[in-house]
Amino acid sequence: MHDLTTEEIRALGHAVGLEIREPELTEVTYSLNALLEALEAINPAELEHVEPLPILLPSA
Amino acid sequence: MEKSQLPFLTVAALAHLIKTHEVSPVEVVEAYLERIERLNPLLHAFLTVCPEDARRAARTAEHEITHGAYRGSLHGIPYAVKDQLSTRGIRTTAGSPLFADVVPDEDATVIAKLHQAGAILLGKLNMTEFGTTGFSHQFSTPRNPWDLARYTGGSSSGSGAATAAGLCATSLGEDTGGSIRFPAAWCGVVGLRPSWGRVSRYGLMPGVWSMDTLGPLARSVTDCALTLEAIAGHDPKDPYTWNVPVPPYTQGLDGTITGLRVGVVREQLETDLVQPEVREAVLCALDVLRDLGATVEDVSIPLAAHAGTISGGLRVEAPRRYRTLLQSRLQEIGHDNRIGYLTGALLPAQAYYKAQQLRVLLRQQVLQALAQVDVLVQPTAGLVAQPVEPDPLIDSKTKTNRLSWLLTTTYSLANVPALSLPCGFHTLQDGTALPIGLQIAGKPFAEVTVFKVANAYEQQTPWHHQRPPL
Repeated sequence: MHDLTTEEIRALGHAVGLEIREPELTEVTYSLNALLEALEAINPAELEHVEPLPILLPSA
Repeated sequence: MEKSQLPFLTVAALAHLIKTHEVSPVEVVEAYLERIERLNPLLHAFLTVCPEDARRAARTAEHEITHGAYRGSLHGIPYAVKDQLSTRGIRTTAGSPLFADVVPDEDATVIAKLHQAGAILLGKLNMTEFGTTGFSHQFSTPRNPWDLARYTGGSSSGSGAATAAGLCATSLGEDTGGSIRFPAAWCGVVGLRPSWGRVSRYGLMPGVWSMDTLGPLARSVTDCALTLEAIAGHDPKDPYTWNVPVPPYTQGLDGTITGLRVGVVREQLETDLVQPEVREAVLCALDVLRDLGATVEDVSIPLAAHAGTISGGLRVEAPRRYRTLLQSRLQEIGHDNRIGYLTGALLPAQAYYKAQQLRVLLRQQVLQALAQVDVLVQPTAGLVAQPVEPDPLIDSKTKTNRLSWLLTTTYSLANVPALSLPCGFHTLQDGTALPIGLQIAGKPFAEVTVFKVANAYEQQTPWHHQRPPL
């Protein structure tokens, strides 16, 4: 996966109503690229067979 | 008893003295207020102190107890609470100047419960901005009582500092990714993240709804158990509290753990993220548990190594909650939150979905490990307390994680109870001794077992008797 550029980060921000400028823009670019890269690298065999339920709901 | 000795007594010892009229709650409150006045300028543990409210409550408690209306172990006991919890008529900032003028008109459920138990609120404790696990403080950075040049750990930083320094008898913190256990480890106190749904979060300024958990920090395991007894239980105002009975957490604390099975999470002990002195202290703790009659065996949680990344992939909620502030007052938010929230706001839905799937698998691995043993044991943090420094700029992808050595997130993601207690000190060349935290995790709602193991270990070791040099 290619890293997102600062321009792409700026555009993503615009899409969610955030105007991201320097100096945050460079830092957010590193931060998001690092997180996406780390997530991309985790691929346990069972991954495609689980539903993303974070917790069991209480029986209250 | 000398007034100066009162602040370091355990809750259990103080309760006995108060119940038997040997000490008045008024004397106890005055002893803590005196200490707060002297030490808080150094420690920055409290954001707000409530001396007059505390004195008034102490006089009421004294009157009630004198007239035979003793309510129980927390009656007349002074406590303090992280400034993330609503307190009626007392400002509640969540560690942010953006909320500096927020004064709630209702108490959080846990505050109301402690009030009902007769406990006395001394004030509101410092924390990282919005309760983000980490270091970034907007008012002032709390200092570690063991070395004022070092961090306390966060986000319940004031809770760790105040409890360790004897500025309160017990305290409350909030733990999303480790925010109770982290300061407990670095400040040398006991901190419990209870099972998710065990304690009401009504009145808590939220971070991550499926992980936020309230719990106690205290100077002994018994004191933690006493505090949890008072705050645990179903709350109709929090739909995610479980309607199951609250057991008497202190009853099983008899020091015996013969036959209990202890699992060592090797991935979290042998990793390079753990400094040798911490690893050695945890290995020694395992010997103590073995000597007490527990069976110690290795277990594996392969995804634990990725817990920080998985948690990072879920942190889209706070940016959504604070989106108006991100849009209009970005520069007033501290550096780490500013970058972290903007990052979370941009996270693609596919990545978020994958993080949720990974969380399910991680939780399954934790529960499978806990099917083999009664508790899991590992370090709380790989490092001892680090020097205070400004938030570093992120100028490469490798500098995006300041907390890779924090080993608490696995149990936050799994929603199981986990406790940190002191298991030794790392002594630096200049003689400074810094606490090391041992983490014990248990099955959902098995806080009783976690307390039992922690208490048995505590009774065999001297660490909880040591005090910071203040």
